[in-house]
Amino acid sequence: MLDDDEAFSEEEVQEEDVALEDLDESDIEGEDEDLVTEQRITVNNQPALIRIYNDFKLKSLPWIETMTVTSAEPLVLKDVHNDLERELAFYQQALSAAKEGREKTKAAGVQFSRPDDYFAEMVKSDEHMEKVRQRLLDETASIKAAEEARRQRDLKKFGKKVQVEKLQARQKQKADELEKIKLMKRKRKGADDMTGGEDEFDISLDDGDDSKRGSKRAKGGKDAKGNASYRDGKNFNRARKDSKYGFGGKKRFAKSNTAESAADISDFNPRKNKGGFNKWSENSQSSQREKQARQSETPGIKG
Amino acid sequence: MATIFKAAKGRKPTAGHDQDANGDVEMKDKRINKQRVLMLSSRGINFRQRHLMTDLEALLPHSKKGISKRHNSIALPHSIHNDSLVTPLLIASSDAKLDAKSKLGVLNELADLNNCNNCIFFEVRKRQDLYMWLAKTPNGPSVKLHVQNIHTMDELKMTGNCLKGSRHILSFDQTFDTAPHWTLMKELFTQVFGVPRGSRRSKPFIDHVLTFSIADNRIWFRNYQVIEKELVKTAGAAGKDKDREETALVEIGPRFVMNVIRIFDGSFGGATVFENPEFVSPNMVRAAHRRDKAVKYQARNAAIAGRKMKLEESVIEEDELSTRKVFA
Repeated sequence: MLDDDEAFSEEEVQEEDVALEDLDESDIEGEDEDLVTEQRITVNNQPALIRIYNDFKLKSLPWIETMTVTSAEPLVLKDVHNDLERELAFYQQALSAAKEGREKTKAAGVQFSRPDDYFAEMVKSDEHMEKVRQRLLDETASIKAAEEARRQRDLKKFGKKVQVEKLQARQKQKADELEKIKLMKRKRKGADDMTGGEDEFDISLDDGDDSKRGSKRAKGGKDAKGNASYRDGKNFNRARKDSKYGFGGKKRFAKSNTAESAADISDFNPRKNKGGFNKWSENSQSSQREKQARQSETPGIKG
Repeated sequence: MATIFKAAKGRKPTAGHDQDANGDVEMKDKRINKQRVLMLSSRGINFRQRHLMTDLEALLPHSKKGISKRHNSIALPHSIHNDSLVTPLLIASSDAKLDAKSKLGVLNELADLNNCNNCIFFEVRKRQDLYMWLAKTPNGPSVKLHVQNIHTMDELKMTGNCLKGSRHILSFDQTFDTAPHWTLMKELFTQVFGVPRGSRRSKPFIDHVLTFSIADNRIWFRNYQVIEKELVKTAGAAGKDKDREETALVEIGPRFVMNVIRIFDGSFGGATVFENPEFVSPNMVRAAHRRDKAVKYQARNAAIAGRKMKLEESVIEEDELSTRKVFA
């Protein structure tokens, strides 16, 4: 094929594209008989290129005149359309060239780095650089703002959840505490009926059965005497009024000195007898007076 | 003139200038590499391409811009064409954009008039496609390139900056040494884009790098600023430790991609020495695109016509017992 083209003066024909006339019949005999091959003959006149290059190139100049650096390895890109990789490859080529250029420049005795105090006209004006700087600042600020907004949103959601949980926990705790107090009081009363010595212990910690039973008997229920059994500080008045007027009020002519009332010792508070109250201490004035009154009391005689 | 004057005066070796020891330099001129570039554009250039031209003019202190006025372009009268002496004077004096796209020979004379031995000519076709001609004007080779993907220095994403007119380092890909046409291109780029030492408007330091890389059979142009950060000097026993300098690059711009179309033997003409087989003219690309869209429409039309024919052919004869015949 190349022999045929020696007839032409200097042009070399690319091997891929063959003129239609040169093909034999046998080559076209396949299924695609009607397919016409491309007739494009492109020019790549290598001897001429080399000759021209040698004619016009700059000969024997020191490096510092032209300052060209050729990279050591050719640039190989898997995919030209992958922008990041491509720009990275260009950057690396430029970086190695800059380093090499600096060495060569220093060897030639020319100053390379621009000192910080050298002010001259730059390729981009100061206003333009200001715009660039502003844009960078805006970008970082917007990123920060977006981050902050996202963080606040998440915190709010989290905070709401935490708040709800906390409220519920508090309510539950309140209910539990009330229950425990009630139970403790009931237990204490029950204990007093039988043994009467458990008051050193504070609120009992184990709930066990009592909590279950206690929850069902919330506020109602009476003690042995028939009085309302919630006689702690707050509800004392309530208890008192209930016992007087509750459930239609007390009957006027109810039995008062029955076997039950005699057996009821709920009014007995042994803590009062234990001391600690100045009124009832042994050597206090009022207790001595009361003692005298008790001792001197004889039936029929008033002192 | 200036060079002859200096030679006659007797040169003094100035500090910082490299005098060859073996006396290769016959002329003993500071500017051994003498290059001047003329930059011109044709009519119909749009804003982005004009800014590209301005950016290149800022980067190359050894360039001279052929001044162009937007609305005041004068078409060359045919009768004057043959007179080679008159035409450049006419054009130069009227400060016109070059309108004669087919008569590029005028550019050689223009360059000669402006004392330039290189020329960059931006040819715009259809107000869309930018072609760049690089030529060594008296009789050197020239190359026509198709320029795409233009990003100018004005883009705010390019944050670097450099001295106006400082000399730069040219970085070429290894691929430029593999084939003769690439080697020729490399030499052309070196002479056109490389700032000669001692050029009048050039500045002393070197603070940017121009890179030419080959990818996808095209030439990619980038311009980076060289930033040097000096690391803290390592205090210690080795007092002679130099400051290790960290070099970083920031892109200044502009950036564009060149596709070689043809290389010519002469300046703006002559025999074609190289033709790029992979080049597809942008017109062809647009036409192919439009043809693809047209195929769909044509297929639909053909289908409609076919259906019409089918309906016409499939007419059934009227039955004997049809209503019209019975009750006629």
